[in-house]
Amino acid sequence: MHMEKEKSWGDWIRELDDPAKNREKPEALDHITVLDVSYANMAGCFCTSTLAEFGANVIRIEPPDGDPARTFSPWGYMHMGTGLGYLNEGRNKHHVTLNLESEEGQEIFRKLARRADVVVETFLPGTMDAWGIGYRQLKELNPRLIYCALYTYGQFGPKAACGKADVDVVDQAYSGVVSVSGEPPEDPQNPKPSEVPTKQGNWMGWYAGGAWASVAILAALHYRVGSGKGQFIDVSPAEAYGRCINYGITYYYGFKDTIPRVGNYDVGVFPYTYFKCKDGFAFLSGFADPNWKALCTIINRPDLQQQFPTIFERLNVDNMKVMYKEIEKWTTAHTYDEIFDAVMDYNKNIGQGVVVPGRISSPMDTMKAENWWVRMALETIDDPHYGEVTIANHAHKMTETPPRVKWICRPVGADNYYVYARMLGYGPKRLEELKEKGII
Amino acid sequence: MAREDYFKWAESVLDPSKTFEKPEALADIKIVELCTLILGPSLPAYLSELGATVFKVELPGMGDTMRSLTPFAKFFNGAAMGWLKEARNKYHLAIDVRVQEGAELFKELVKRSDVVVENLRAGTMDKWGIGYRQLREINPRIIYIALNGFGQWGPYLERPSYDAIAQSESGEAWISGFPDKLPMKAGIWLADYYGGLVGAVGVLAALAHRDRTGRGQYIEYSQAENLMRAMDWTWLYQHFTGKCRERYGNRDVSICPADIVPSKDGEMVAIGAATDKQFQGLCEAMGKPELARDPRFATHLERLKEENALELLATIRQWAAGKTYGEIDELAGRYGFGAQKVSNGKDHFEDEHLRKRNFTYYVDDPIYGDFYEEGIAPKLSETPGRIKWAGKPVGFDNEYVLKRFLGLKTKKIKYLKEKNIIGKWVDVPPGRKPPERWDGKSGILLA
Repeated sequence: MHMEKEKSWGDWIRELDDPAKNREKPEALDHITVLDVSYANMAGCFCTSTLAEFGANVIRIEPPDGDPARTFSPWGYMHMGTGLGYLNEGRNKHHVTLNLESEEGQEIFRKLARRADVVVETFLPGTMDAWGIGYRQLKELNPRLIYCALYTYGQFGPKAACGKADVDVVDQAYSGVVSVSGEPPEDPQNPKPSEVPTKQGNWMGWYAGGAWASVAILAALHYRVGSGKGQFIDVSPAEAYGRCINYGITYYYGFKDTIPRVGNYDVGVFPYTYFKCKDGFAFLSGFADPNWKALCTIINRPDLQQQFPTIFERLNVDNMKVMYKEIEKWTTAHTYDEIFDAVMDYNKNIGQGVVVPGRISSPMDTMKAENWWVRMALETIDDPHYGEVTIANHAHKMTETPPRVKWICRPVGADNYYVYARMLGYGPKRLEELKEKGII
Repeated sequence: MAREDYFKWAESVLDPSKTFEKPEALADIKIVELCTLILGPSLPAYLSELGATVFKVELPGMGDTMRSLTPFAKFFNGAAMGWLKEARNKYHLAIDVRVQEGAELFKELVKRSDVVVENLRAGTMDKWGIGYRQLREINPRIIYIALNGFGQWGPYLERPSYDAIAQSESGEAWISGFPDKLPMKAGIWLADYYGGLVGAVGVLAALAHRDRTGRGQYIEYSQAENLMRAMDWTWLYQHFTGKCRERYGNRDVSICPADIVPSKDGEMVAIGAATDKQFQGLCEAMGKPELARDPRFATHLERLKEENALELLATIRQWAAGKTYGEIDELAGRYGFGAQKVSNGKDHFEDEHLRKRNFTYYVDDPIYGDFYEEGIAPKLSETPGRIKWAGKPVGFDNEYVLKRFLGLKTKKIKYLKEKNIIGKWVDVPPGRKPPERWDGKSGILLA
């Protein structure tokens, strides 16, 4: 008699959540219809991409000449008429056109909204309301509707009516994150143009805004299950991103000071930064007392541990500079692989405290690393219109209802016939009329 | 006038001062958290703001390492400020889940809960007998999310991770910062906070599925992969051009104009125009309406071309240098382009707009005193988000939770304490015990 050996945790769970099997599983949100009227704003588009990746039926409504966001692309690079930023967030959506400034367009929108679950919009506050298709009007037609408006300064408050545009760089600046990111001047008398508060390279403000909007919409959806009630949701991408701040407001309140920019240091954790090594840069950490001891053991510098035994010594910026130099003596004498192996060997074989190593990858290095392909974090898909494309998938691997990308985008108005026929019964003749009038 | 009427209406339905008169979206959801640092704990913190009941389980004594994370080792009334961001609204329990009786208590909590959130090394929970494999047997409706650096299987399985690793291995650090500087690590724990946030999307999607089918599920989640999903056009650009995305400082090479430039009065000001109309407004504001008709700048695709973009951004930089932020701000409102000075903690603290909107949130806590913190992001008209309390010392709510939610007898609780299955804080390191000025009773829930 022999018992079948119990599967290791990793093997067991992979069998259940491997994204290679995504397409055999149901979708979490395939009962939900979303109308997305985002305009020149990727926060709205990312929110509805996310809902669509989890299965929602998203109808992406653009003006007849397309959303200006279709031109958001590095140096204007276009693939089959669409910029890469937009192309990436057209996922699983049906693309229709509708002129919301015309009365007939508004009437059509009202018809669609009667039967929708969610509306997402990014116009200046009050725009949809003035068109007679804001939440105030739509909730009368559809009390179950969840309506989410995204705008830098929100839908109420002293700045809501300011009229300024919502652009990612503005959201990042207002969030507070930029003020604590970037290198401080090496010579304060002669700061370089690159030694200034610095934004993230990607549209981080918009992505955080879209993510919070998704969370709020899904929470509202859960509330609707029990109550039958829809609601109005106001998301500022700037605040959404600002919620990711470590501790700006409390620090000011408690100590009448602001958190300074310290480049790649961290004012709350040391060591936790990038070090030069023989062939590039390595990240190393060892903050909590046992982890710090582990790092000092690995680099064979027990004296450092004695000299800086508690976080009070280690979070003093002058001491940080001293410790940094000492640790760097060791890192510069080794290659990245040697450092990685030394640390992992310690973690595995001695394992009192943990030191965490990592490499600073360019996204091209990242794209070449096998790990992300095995895990389908990156995937090359064959889009029915745009051809072969490489995308990043949502990180969730789920046993029952994983997210997935079915197509990457559609051209402007590509689904007009399908969506208007299915939702409103409009045939080719009616669509031709609407087209002539500039409605679609 | 119509717009004035709109803002009045919007404020009336969203008014944060009415928050506690309204219900909570996730009031029926209970979450058990076995997490440390930020990636894991931030997720239940977000959902707690929307009404979820959260049982945060720590090890007795030291508790979560996060209780040490505070700038320059300065504690606010005995609390680490990093910890305050995620401690809100939670019940703080300390149970030694590594021993059997502790694991049993943990399972009892899970039986009565809807969601489990953990961010331990892959396989740790399974080894302790409280992983998904075991928990789904006692609660098939459970939604279990495991968040970490690289997931539960795959080539990087054995690698530990932190926020900064996710930032660097994803390529996010590489594409951020200036070309003449090192790749930039964000000044916040970006992969953690944003990781917890998008993780919450998965939990709520799973809840939507459970609302329909009654079935729970397991969610595996890598924070590095999550950042990769947020890197907008990076992968398509590299796919089509074969070129690596580099870092370009504060200018956005995919939206033009968008940059951060100094004003006359020394502020750093983000200025951006994402549509032709916004751009025309900016040109008018600069007193150069002809720029908007110049063939080099008339369309977005022309503006994005490198030589045109450089010229345009230089023009804007020069213009801004002659204006105060106040002037730029006023013009941006009048002409409808984007402009915002780089704001910091002081600006947020003093900003009447953010206070009104409960982003700058006033908390009056029975243990840690009253203070302000980054508060509520989304405003919901029917079920507004809220902060009820700031956080608790290690093991502070043991008795209350074990009695109210598990119905344990007082004797049993005493026994668990004596056997060190449950416990409270240690005095050192700081951040675990109640603040010095605590009166020994405030905040204690009778049990």
